[in-house]
Amino acid sequence: MFNLIKKDLIIQKTQLLLFISLIIFLVFFARDISPILIFLVAGAYISANAYVYDGMAESNILLNSLPYTRKLIVASRYIGAMVYMILSMAMAGGVLYLFDYGYNMMDIAIAAGLFFIFAAFAFPLFYILKPAYIGVVMFIGMIVLAIGFQPAARFLEEHLATITNFIAGLSTTMLYFSGAAIAIGLYLISWVISQFIYQRKVF
Amino acid sequence: MENIVEFKNVTKRFKDFSLENINLQIKQGYVTGFVGANGAGKSTTMKLMMNLLQADAGEVKIFGMNYAGNEKEIKERMGFVYDSNVFYESLNLKDIRRIIAPAYKNWDDKTFYHYIKIFELPLNKAIKTFSKGMQMKASLAMALSHDAEFIMMDEPTAGLDPVFRRELLDILQDIMENGRRTLFFSTHITSDLERIADYITFIQKGKILFNDSMEDVQNRYALVKGSIDLLNRDTEKLFIKTERSSYDFQALTNDVAEVKTLLGNRVVIEEATLEDIMFYAKGAKHQNV
Repeated sequence: MFNLIKKDLIIQKTQLLLFISLIIFLVFFARDISPILIFLVAGAYISANAYVYDGMAESNILLNSLPYTRKLIVASRYIGAMVYMILSMAMAGGVLYLFDYGYNMMDIAIAAGLFFIFAAFAFPLFYILKPAYIGVVMFIGMIVLAIGFQPAARFLEEHLATITNFIAGLSTTMLYFSGAAIAIGLYLISWVISQFIYQRKVF
Repeated sequence: MENIVEFKNVTKRFKDFSLENINLQIKQGYVTGFVGANGAGKSTTMKLMMNLLQADAGEVKIFGMNYAGNEKEIKERMGFVYDSNVFYESLNLKDIRRIIAPAYKNWDDKTFYHYIKIFELPLNKAIKTFSKGMQMKASLAMALSHDAEFIMMDEPTAGLDPVFRRELLDILQDIMENGRRTLFFSTHITSDLERIADYITFIQKGKILFNDSMEDVQNRYALVKGSIDLLNRDTEKLFIKTERSSYDFQALTNDVAEVKTLLGNRVVIEEATLEDIMFYAKGAKHQNV
């Protein structure tokens, strides 16, 4: 497991330099960006890159020819994503601190939650689709979002009062805890789904 | 004699192609050549062997074990060389070693650097700059460094220049010397097999036509040439496929003894090469190969 997680670092040695410069760039040239977004980009960077590399059929053949089970390959992807998220967010936090860019722990927590939700949807998709189709799917997703936005907004408008009342009724701690529970829950469900897909994948 | 690999009635169906009822044994300590035309099912069979594909029916056993529950153990003892590069192509061999070495319990760095030296491979150049022959050598070095008992090679000689092909066959002969290793390799360059293979497995249109020792194959099959008036309903039964010209015929038989008894000195019997067998078997009307 550790070897499979470490593999991503070996492959991305050079991209990591780019990673640090990306954060510094954001700090200097995008002063108004919410720190949440910076943490989110930082946290997703290594995992997203790793997927591009492992999406290639050849690397799947390699990994599956080595003494690893498919279960282990998926597990290392999900655990690896968490490990790299924590490390990169810590690193981003360090860089932001050095450059005196204001943020608090809540920003990190929200970014982590968003990352879990984003990963929960993206990871199984990556296992189903060939990398070449990911662009198409994202494009279609955007169109669906654009079309679906209006009805969704109308729905929210109508029921906003009920929703805000419900949320306002919760204590802040409760709110964050349930947010975290949902994010982590989705991530775990996604893990099970990915494993199911990957077991049946043909190379 | 023990079988390293055993396929029992293995069936795998795709939309436009299927392997039907494959029975296959690979004997421990020998070189088995796997021949067949392009698209005959060689790569599919090898993928089933590596558990990259799962059979729809039948049983695949490697080292006497099923993949279910034993995947790690089986793959620890197996080496692989694929017909295309499977390594991360932007990495150099040093980094590839960092990824692959820790996967194996038996990995030995000394052996790895030994083969890197013998194969004259650069450690610091990206894999994408490697020629086909170098990529193949790199895969082979990896397989040898973890002391694989069974090495599976998919078309290792395809696309190599003749000089290097001979060199490779010598290397393969070398690594076979201690008798502990088993080698299975697919090719459609049949002359390679005549040099080093002990057993031949022949696949055609998803079916195994034979799985015999080289000696058996050479004893059973022959090219028969003679005058066309010798052909009649009885004699034609002896042949897998017959080619006729106005006066003569040329045919492949898998029953040399019977041809000798029936036709004796009236025909010329020549040794059939694997290529002859492949060629004639392809157009055969009755599949009693």
